[in-house]
Amino acid sequence: MSGMTRRSLLGAGAAVVASAVTAPAVIGQARPRVVVVGGGPGGATVAKYVARDSAGAINVSLVEPSAKFVTCFHSNLYLGGYKTFEQITHSYEALTKNYGVNHVRQTAAFIDRDEKRVRTTDNTILSYDKLVVAPGIDLKYDSVPGWGQEHEQVMPHAWKAGPQTQLLKKRLDEVKNGGVIVMIAPPNPYRCPPGPYERVSMMAHVLKASGRTNCRIVIIDPKETYSKQGLFQDGWETFYKGMVEWLGPKVHDGLKSVDPKTGTVVTGFETYKDCALVNVIPAQMAGKIARDAGLADASGFCPIDPATMKSAKDPNLFIVGDACIPGDMPKSAFSANSQAKVAAMIIRNELTGSRTFPPRYNNTCWSLIETDNAVKVGGRYEPKDGKISAAETFVSKTGETAELRKQTQEENIGWYSGITTDIFG
Amino acid sequence: MLADGYRRLARAGSLAATLLTAPGFAQAAVSAEVKGDRELGEYLSAQCTTCHQISGRSIGGVPSIVAWPEDQFIAVITSYKEGQRDNETMRTISHSLSLEEIAALAAYFGSLKLTGQAQK
Ligand SMILES: Cc1cc2nc3c(=O)[nH]c(=O)nc-3n(C[C@H](O)[C@H](O)[C@H](O)COP(=O)(O)OP(=O)(O)OC[C@H]3O[C@@H](n4cnc5c(N)ncnc54)[C@H](O)[C@@H]3O)c2cc1C
Repeated sequence: MSGMTRRSLLGAGAAVVASAVTAPAVIGQARPRVVVVGGGPGGATVAKYVARDSAGAINVSLVEPSAKFVTCFHSNLYLGGYKTFEQITHSYEALTKNYGVNHVRQTAAFIDRDEKRVRTTDNTILSYDKLVVAPGIDLKYDSVPGWGQEHEQVMPHAWKAGPQTQLLKKRLDEVKNGGVIVMIAPPNPYRCPPGPYERVSMMAHVLKASGRTNCRIVIIDPKETYSKQGLFQDGWETFYKGMVEWLGPKVHDGLKSVDPKTGTVVTGFETYKDCALVNVIPAQMAGKIARDAGLADASGFCPIDPATMKSAKDPNLFIVGDACIPGDMPKSAFSANSQAKVAAMIIRNELTGSRTFPPRYNNTCWSLIETDNAVKVGGRYEPKDGKISAAETFVSKTGETAELRKQTQEENIGWYSGITTDIFG
Repeated sequence: MLADGYRRLARAGSLAATLLTAPGFAQAAVSAEVKGDRELGEYLSAQCTTCHQISGRSIGGVPSIVAWPEDQFIAVITSYKEGQRDNETMRTISHSLSLEEIAALAAYFGSLKLTGQAQK
């Protein structure tokens, strides 16, 4: 990569540059530099919007090890057989070719907030004027007794999209009629509040469609209530009668342990032996790079200024997406994309003096329950009382017509195409 | 000629009839004369482009909103804002928009060229 120096932070004496500076805005003065860590819906949106809207006035580097991004959103539709893996995989090529984003295919290893620079695992140094930290989540591998990273091939989580998603589908396809599937649902806060329950719906759809209606899916949930609960329970009763059982903490009396070797799940209420599949979705926290940089609080996630998406701990830094504490917004791709646009506007203003406008935040999360039967939950949000607060919310209702549910699914399909074009197109 | 997305919307909810009788229509017609702030519209448009594609490509149940006549754009958003048309996502977003902002969005999207194809 031309113009990029590779040296360790310790040995850095000479000048370091973020990336190729090809067209300084002012002769003798380099363009301001924005470094974005993480190329998910949060980071990739900021990178695209800053690069596109500054029309070359700002140098944007996107640090992301992968060449392609597999979306968690609609990975449940892949599991349900409605989408191919290719349809949920997106390249960063448009970002680099159309908008001049410099894709640094590395993992950020260290953020030096005093010196305003980032070191990657191959010791590339990237200096920044503004840094965006958008690493998404890390899984708490020690939050489920008996389960750890070494067991994710046996009891997959599929809560980060990629090979895990493919593994879960493969394992689901192998379940024999009559088999028991256990999902260990995560505690709050976690990415995609309705995600586990949409996943259960898609599992039930696949089992039913292949005649495996004697299978049972048991959800062991640490939460008393969950997103779109009435809608999912109504949907399971209507479409998958007798196949899905949700157990809250009062009933199961706590998850005691899992044993990946024997496929056993032990709760205070019952022991499930020889499970055909156990999907463990553990507790979550902000990605390591954000925690290591001291940006997280005791919750494991990163507090932000709700008007700007700046880190509450460092005004040169922005945190968007699942890694931040988004107040009343859920952790979703829609939210991450919405937060990213506010951050991009503020960054451009601070670096090039472009106009600012009041921040706007929105979210809608669609969930597919059965073919042509989708529901949604959403709202609009504004900075208030020191957080991003809900100004107006909505949720689908039970008893909606089949036609409305079908329209909602068509909207879901349109949204996916829209948001992935907005992020990667 | 109506843009493709507008035609879809008009079909879906017999929009013309709704608008003629709706209290918002008179207001919308007036606000069409407000000259939209395109730059504000461009900023606000980022809320729309999470679903509606800037190329005007329409996929699934999300119509194109590109290259509509400005007064029609204003009338449609106003019809969501005032409850003649109901879609929770659109209703919620329209509630956050002032008439000036709706005009700004109309000016921005109205100025874009339709380059994408409609797809089901
Ligand atoms: C099953 C499931 C279904 C979902 N369905 C929906 C849905 O229908 N709608 C919706 O809106 N949301 C949905 N979500 C949630 C959505 O996927 C996330 O909220 C969203 O991906 C968050 O975006 P992000 O950019 O914050 O993080 P991520 O998408 O996790 O992206 C973070 C990126 O940062 C990179 N990264 C991490 N650390 C580093 C580092 N040190 N250096 C460089 N790069 C790094 C990672 O490689 C990754 O590419 C779903 C999630 C799941 C699990």
